[in-house]
Amino acid sequence: MKNVTSAKNRNTNKYLYLLALLPFVIIVLLYELVPLFMLIVDSFGSDADKAVLFTLENYKKIFTTLGYQKSITNSLKITTVSTIVGIIIAFFGAKAAYNSRGKCRSIFMTVLNMTSNFAGVPLAFAYMILLGNIGVITQIGNLYGIEFIQNFDLYSSQGLILMYIYFQIPLSTLLLIPAFNGVRKEWREANMLLGGSEGTFWFKVGIPVLIPSIFGTISVLFANALCAYATAYALVMNNFKLLPLDISASFTGDIASKPKFGAALSVVMMVIMCAVILLDNYIVKKTTAWKTR
Amino acid sequence: MENEVKTMNKKSKVFSNIFMTCVIVWLLFPLAATLIYSLFRNWTEIIPQGFSFNSYITVFSNPNFFSALYQTVLLCIVPIIITIIVVLLALFVTTVYFPNLEKYVQMLCMIPYTIQGVILSVSILSVYGKSGGFLGNRMVMLIGAYCIIILPHIYQGIRNSMHAISMTTLIEAAEMLGASRLYAFFKVIVPNIITGITVSSLLAVGILFGDYVIIRNLSGSGTINMQIYLYQAMKRSTDESSAVIVLIMLLTFAITALVLYLQSRSKIEKIQKEGR
Repeated sequence: MKNVTSAKNRNTNKYLYLLALLPFVIIVLLYELVPLFMLIVDSFGSDADKAVLFTLENYKKIFTTLGYQKSITNSLKITTVSTIVGIIIAFFGAKAAYNSRGKCRSIFMTVLNMTSNFAGVPLAFAYMILLGNIGVITQIGNLYGIEFIQNFDLYSSQGLILMYIYFQIPLSTLLLIPAFNGVRKEWREANMLLGGSEGTFWFKVGIPVLIPSIFGTISVLFANALCAYATAYALVMNNFKLLPLDISASFTGDIASKPKFGAALSVVMMVIMCAVILLDNYIVKKTTAWKTR
Repeated sequence: MENEVKTMNKKSKVFSNIFMTCVIVWLLFPLAATLIYSLFRNWTEIIPQGFSFNSYITVFSNPNFFSALYQTVLLCIVPIIITIIVVLLALFVTTVYFPNLEKYVQMLCMIPYTIQGVILSVSILSVYGKSGGFLGNRMVMLIGAYCIIILPHIYQGIRNSMHAISMTTLIEAAEMLGASRLYAFFKVIVPNIITGITVSSLLAVGILFGDYVIIRNLSGSGTINMQIYLYQAMKRSTDESSAVIVLIMLLTFAITALVLYLQSRSKIEKIQKEGR
């Protein structure tokens, strides 16, 4: 009898502990779930007429206005190029760190960690003093008549791509380095003993093993570049069509804010991101089918 | 055959070092340029001219700089403490009493990874921006947004270090010795994972220190952090802003160095423990 009551007590006690989950639930609800849910609801509302509860006019406007189409394509272009270049450099960087031990590697790691926080306003500034209108490299280029420096325009998608690649490199390399520890040195020796070259090893063994980590990193890089705001804003302010700039401007715009329209833009951005993540997962699933075979 | 393997290894090692050096130079170049720019008055040809500390003197004589620094530190510490406590409590309940709830907690903690600063800040603004009272307070909105943005990092840091120690065994042992589970959690588990907590909160400091978009969208003109201060300085003078960047970077490097030191120390400890 006694045992039964104590067990019962214990059970009620157990549910009492759910109270400790309450702070977490409250914060997540207030600042993550409710705002996200409302954003999606708002995106179907109308800025002009508050009585309208469901309309697709915001989405229609996004996909039929040239300016917003430009924002989406610019964002996609800059994000995709910087992600691809970033992942390629990260692959060779992580491979190099995996091949070598010693001083060069430890300096490399320190520099990656150091520069992983160098993004946003400081990065834009550093590139402006180097490649801006009166930047050092620009002036040197003018002085000696170096053409490709003279033709380079920092305040365009060229410049943004260059800066985005910069902040993708430390992040992607740091994410990939641990994955290379899964590539065993014995496999390499086995490959060589069987007459395979370095190239065959990476194409037939190394990369297939690394695929999940590579695509995981691609997702992170894509999200990182697609949502990057400060770097672009500090460089071009609102004078360039880019999704994050448009979203922010429609909520805190100087002229008139259009929160419902901004909500629809945000939903478009989230859909793009989810699509990339799903595509990534799908490719990983397809390419790692050999594991379960 | 063996020789072939060795020469190939050597070749790839040389190539590796060259590649790493290139990346190091590429990454340090803008930083070095900013440093040089802040220390010289005139840099229009290859060799900069007119060495001076003037730009630093300008920064340090501006009281707004210190108030921005103070607000940044405050805005880092409060959300980090709140998030750590909240996540610890949630992980305590889920790992000890309701393991089947853990996957939901994990999912909720990972969502901010995909929404990031822009969407998070505008969505919070549109829900609470016009409502008065406590929730409509700009500072409260800002701290709430910061808690969410660092949530994935804090969660992963704490959970990884929980997995590294055998938590259930430790709690069972403490229970057998007469401690309650709650007591065991906070007196046995938390001290064991304190390094993990410190490392993840330092990483969170790095993120919050670099935030520009959330504070710009959510706070009124009253609150400024270092990034906003830097943006305003950029409009005033390039010399001053280069000095501000150098100071920001020095601070972040100090934080990174501390993280690396703590991580390497905990690794050494682990090796020593396993060796015994």
